[in-house]
Amino acid sequence: MAESLLSLRINGEAVSTAAPSHWTLLEVLRYRLDLIGSKQGCDKGDCGACTVQINGEPVLACLTLAATAQRGEVRTVEGLSWAPEASQGCHPLQDAFDRWDAAQCGFCTPGILMAAEALLRKRAAVVTRDEVREALAGNLCRCTGYTKIIDAVVDASEVVFGQRGDESTDDSAQQTGS
Amino acid sequence: MRPFALIRPESLTQARDLVVAKPEGRSFRAGGIDLMDRMKEGLDDPELLVELRGVGELAGVTESAGFSPATADGSVPENLPSGALWRVGAATTLAEIAANEALLDGAAALVEAASQAATPGIRNTATVGGNLLQRPRCWYYRNRELVCLKKGGDMCLAIAGDNRYHAILGGGPSFIVHPSSLATALVALGATVGTFRGASAEDAITPGRVLPIEELFAGPKTDPTREHVLEDGEVLEAVLVPKAGAEMRSAYGAVREKQSHDWPLVEAAVRMRVDAGVMKDVRVALGHVAPVPWLSPEAAEVLEGQAPDAELFARAAEAAVAKARPLDGNGYKVPMSKGLLREVLHRASGLALPE
Amino acid sequence: MAYEPKPESRTEHADAPEWKLGKSHRKVDAMERMRGVTRYTDDIKLPGLLHCKILRSPHAHAKILSIDTSRAEAMDGVHAVVTGEELSIPYGIIPWTPDETALAVGKVCYVGDGVAAVAAVDEDTAIAACAAIEVLYEPLPAYYDPEKSLEATAKNADGSYTGADGKGVAINPYARRGNRSKNVVLEFGEVDPAIDQAELIIEGDYFFEGTTHGAIEPHCAVAKVEPNGMLTVWSATQVSHYLHRELAKVLERPANTIRVIQPPLGGAFGGKSEPFDLEFCVAKLAMKTGRPVKCLYTREEVFYSHRGRHPMKMKYRTGFTKEGKITGVAARTFLDGGAYSSFGLVTTYYSGQLLCAPYRFPAYRFHSTRAYTNKPACGPKRGHGSVQPRFAIEVQMDKAAVELGLDPFELRRRNDIGAGGETVNDFKIGSNGFLECLEQVEAASEWTERKPELGYGRGLGVAGSTYISGTNYPIYPNDMPQAAVQVTLDRSGRARVFSGANDIGQGSNTMLAVIVAAELGLELDDVRVLSADTDLCPVDLGAYSSRITLMVGNACMEAAQKLRRKVRESVAKRWEVPKKRVTLVERKAMDIENPEQSVPIAEAFQWAESDHGLLGEIGSYNTPKDRHGDYRGGTIGASPAYSFTAHVADVSVDPETGVVTVHDIWVAHDCGKALSRRIVEGQMEGSAYMGFGEAIMERHDVDPDHSGVHIGPSLLDYRMPTFLDTPDLHALIVEAPDPQGPYGAKEAGEGPLHPSIPAIANAIYDAVGVRIDTLPFSPPKVLAAILERQEKERNGELPVFKADKRGDINDGRRSA
Repeated sequence: MAESLLSLRINGEAVSTAAPSHWTLLEVLRYRLDLIGSKQGCDKGDCGACTVQINGEPVLACLTLAATAQRGEVRTVEGLSWAPEASQGCHPLQDAFDRWDAAQCGFCTPGILMAAEALLRKRAAVVTRDEVREALAGNLCRCTGYTKIIDAVVDASEVVFGQRGDESTDDSAQQTGS
Repeated sequence: MRPFALIRPESLTQARDLVVAKPEGRSFRAGGIDLMDRMKEGLDDPELLVELRGVGELAGVTESAGFSPATADGSVPENLPSGALWRVGAATTLAEIAANEALLDGAAALVEAASQAATPGIRNTATVGGNLLQRPRCWYYRNRELVCLKKGGDMCLAIAGDNRYHAILGGGPSFIVHPSSLATALVALGATVGTFRGASAEDAITPGRVLPIEELFAGPKTDPTREHVLEDGEVLEAVLVPKAGAEMRSAYGAVREKQSHDWPLVEAAVRMRVDAGVMKDVRVALGHVAPVPWLSPEAAEVLEGQAPDAELFARAAEAAVAKARPLDGNGYKVPMSKGLLREVLHRASGLALPE
Repeated sequence: MAYEPKPESRTEHADAPEWKLGKSHRKVDAMERMRGVTRYTDDIKLPGLLHCKILRSPHAHAKILSIDTSRAEAMDGVHAVVTGEELSIPYGIIPWTPDETALAVGKVCYVGDGVAAVAAVDEDTAIAACAAIEVLYEPLPAYYDPEKSLEATAKNADGSYTGADGKGVAINPYARRGNRSKNVVLEFGEVDPAIDQAELIIEGDYFFEGTTHGAIEPHCAVAKVEPNGMLTVWSATQVSHYLHRELAKVLERPANTIRVIQPPLGGAFGGKSEPFDLEFCVAKLAMKTGRPVKCLYTREEVFYSHRGRHPMKMKYRTGFTKEGKITGVAARTFLDGGAYSSFGLVTTYYSGQLLCAPYRFPAYRFHSTRAYTNKPACGPKRGHGSVQPRFAIEVQMDKAAVELGLDPFELRRRNDIGAGGETVNDFKIGSNGFLECLEQVEAASEWTERKPELGYGRGLGVAGSTYISGTNYPIYPNDMPQAAVQVTLDRSGRARVFSGANDIGQGSNTMLAVIVAAELGLELDDVRVLSADTDLCPVDLGAYSSRITLMVGNACMEAAQKLRRKVRESVAKRWEVPKKRVTLVERKAMDIENPEQSVPIAEAFQWAESDHGLLGEIGSYNTPKDRHGDYRGGTIGASPAYSFTAHVADVSVDPETGVVTVHDIWVAHDCGKALSRRIVEGQMEGSAYMGFGEAIMERHDVDPDHSGVHIGPSLLDYRMPTFLDTPDLHALIVEAPDPQGPYGAKEAGEGPLHPSIPAIANAIYDAVGVRIDTLPFSPPKVLAAILERQEKERNGELPVFKADKRGDINDGRRSA
């Protein structure tokens, strides 16, 4: 099958590879670059397990042609481990998910983390449970009933944003938001 | 998914050149959400994809004193809407609309519809053009193994099948419902669409068109295999929404089985001005009840010039579905449409719901 | 010699285990999943990997007249094609009903039945090759309704079943009784008089729509063959041992030349608890090509492979005294089985056997009939067999409470079966925390205060249930242990646990680490759990019927306690103190009476290794054999211990649109003892969520009007609750320790699902006065019921529901 050359920027690094021209970003990540953290649950944009960020916005890698992704800065779950806010290869969101048992089988988790990271970065404050629900409405999880995921995201936002001066309460978060 | 070639023009001129002498097997995509889905389902297999997302002129929401048509010869299409307009480029994403607070004045219904469609991840990619021109979600159409009317078969399989999600109004010979939520809102808002076209075979420039949005869509009676009137090589450029200001109120609502990533069972959108206690310039649209976004002049007529009133709203809701002809599995859509439309009318007019 | 279970020695160490037991833990394998480095089956990379695709039947029922694979085989990049004739040995997860083959032999029985499999250089080529395979079919009449299917093959005069009156056709080629897959009638006591003479008789017809598991990871399998003939199969399975056996049988290879590995799994819920076509296909294709082969199901294939919850038509009669005591229960149930048996024999029993608690039934009869239909086969889904009848029973209870003017909590309390007794079908109940479950959800939901105040459109509903902690007998009869664990310690202060148990995301690896850490004074980080690899681990039967915590937990506890004893002895010897003064805690051995005296755990292990040689112990577990009924079928559904659950659901119903919004579910669950609290809570929340989805929106079905195609084999069309739909879930752990469980623990993974559905149904009634006895409670159905009631209210046939509470602030209207 005819392959074409792709030049992507992934997790801050320039990456070149060849892949069939009709491959999605998800296929290239998983089967060419061995970035297996992004998962294929449905391949139709229905489950959110393949959520990655392009230019900081969560998008579905299974519906994004790899060729199109060349325009942007791609970020995958692997990139969270060396984000500036990560410590010992562990992002505050990952740490909160671990403490809350927010990942059961863990298959949906990488996509959820990428959507949640975008929320925290944009909101830059302690988030409410309803904000988490809205931001993650495209990510299906079949194990947890979502409760502990919401707990973990709110907790992570408190860890990242809650300890700055006196902004540690929900009230101040409301004030600093939007 | 079958292999294909991809080209990515960066300007309207480039795109227009690609439109010229459009060969069979060429598809246009912006976000490409529905097209990718159809390609993966084996319902579509273009040889050449023209990606329009990089075309600057198609992007974003701008204020515009009038429509600046992008026809290649600079000619001005007729029937341009007058007055101040929002120009919503066809490649504007749903997320951009959902986040556009300026649109809340006068076009709140559009913002509401965009912010409820699909999922956050899809809204970051899906575009206005793709949303308006997506193919139906009908499970018979979407099933690769079945040949329905939309795919060149003899009859609409919903008639003798499970038609719980199908049309109660305007159906026949196909009973799909139009899948676009944005269309429902835009029809209520009295929007207009602008298109551009490439050159004809004789190399003469064919100007683009300007159409009231309800004329963009075509019911199944003319050609059951398509849902819109765009011709080969004609591409949706922008949607023009009257920039009505805060006194123009609008609202959108939908009933869903699932609150995210689901197509509505029914939806309703209305627009009105409340002037000296009475409703003016009323437009009422229902969605997911008909093969096209369903404009209801009957409901608008009941309301026009009257003061907001719960009993009046109930009558308008009756009028909106008076001509409904349900199939055996979708009769619920009649009372549901009425209930929803009443709620949306109350919300748009600011009249509290009766207890 | 038959293995004897050893239930003793559970109190020897009252001091130590609390060190880890009952706390919340970070799971032993979660962080690498979240960092995206865990390799699930589809993440396995092997040199020369070929991709397999399976050609599937477009017909619901048809004879295969011919298959021509020559064009496909000639294609560039195609390495091999396999058809049913090459894998023709029938198998089935239940040894008594081997009625399916890896690929169709002679006929296809549902849309999606596998017909041929291709191995090619990539997926696109494999798909193209499947399209190039020519199959000639002769369509047969297809049956989609279980009762019609049964009628089609009534027993003929000559004793045969096939083709009754020359018209009907038996679906399953291996079936022995036409389209009747299984029939069970069991009666305990004089049922009909007990009901007929009751002061109140509640009768109801219920229909449970089929639902599917919806694990986010699709099924996937990879196989490779080594030059010495060793076949390795990696599969996203929850039953590696049974897969191992069936592979040996179908491939006609000795089991010792096959290794099955279950990589980390992306959810299962019963959907991966038997062999599937892809495992046989990749193995066969790897054998044919000498290359590793992978098959990943598309989401559509997952829906067609199914094995989900059986649709059930249930007719219930329940008798009550005027005080609300149950006098008798009679059930007639039809199970829509789909094309194959799967676990159906067990499901048919479970649909009656698992319902005899938490309420005392003085007399009980169930008659359950499973029929083959031309649909994807049904099997076990979380709460196997009992979720459907539980819906019927709990709604019957609610109807009785309304008729009797009793609070539904009070009605349930009056029928509580209690601890230590026996059910009407002779199952021995151990611990029972049901009353405390009721108390907890009643208090947490503020039932007493809130319920009388709720306006029209808002309602509260309650339901209860029970479930098993493993089954008393393995799927194939044998006297070997049901669970076994090996634990070894090393000089650096670490432990290794080898267990055949399948961690499917429920956290069983962590449960094992918690037990070992608790007994040996370790942190969870010090324990390495190796599981579900048939070459490395002792046999375990798999992750089904909620058996792992009780069975594998007991086995692990035994091994860990043997090691604990050795370590304490060695330490006591060196300190010259009695053994009972030594405890293992916080990574050290410590003298209880003189806490100043301690030694790092690694050193304690070194002392023990010096005394005993390499520190390794085994533990195994088998069930007690005296806790079930002495009648045919009396072992099926019997368990060492039973969990209990109660839910309250708080719902709004919009009378204009029929939309049901569930705001909160309080779920109290008696798990005996929570070994790891957050994991238990997660199981309770996930269960309540899954039941909620089945109640409100899920529907797995085919279209009988259009050749039996699935109505929407995607995660878009098959509606699963999202973050926005799911109610606030409140997990309330109740602990009534059971002597049969490790440290008293019972199951928590399936039981808490059951009451979700009836609690929501009962809350809908409380909100708007309509009974929805068929699932799901979708807006069209609820709206139709509301309109029907309103019509009757206008005609004076029914009183106006909550007439005094219309328009209250608390009502169910949707907010804008």
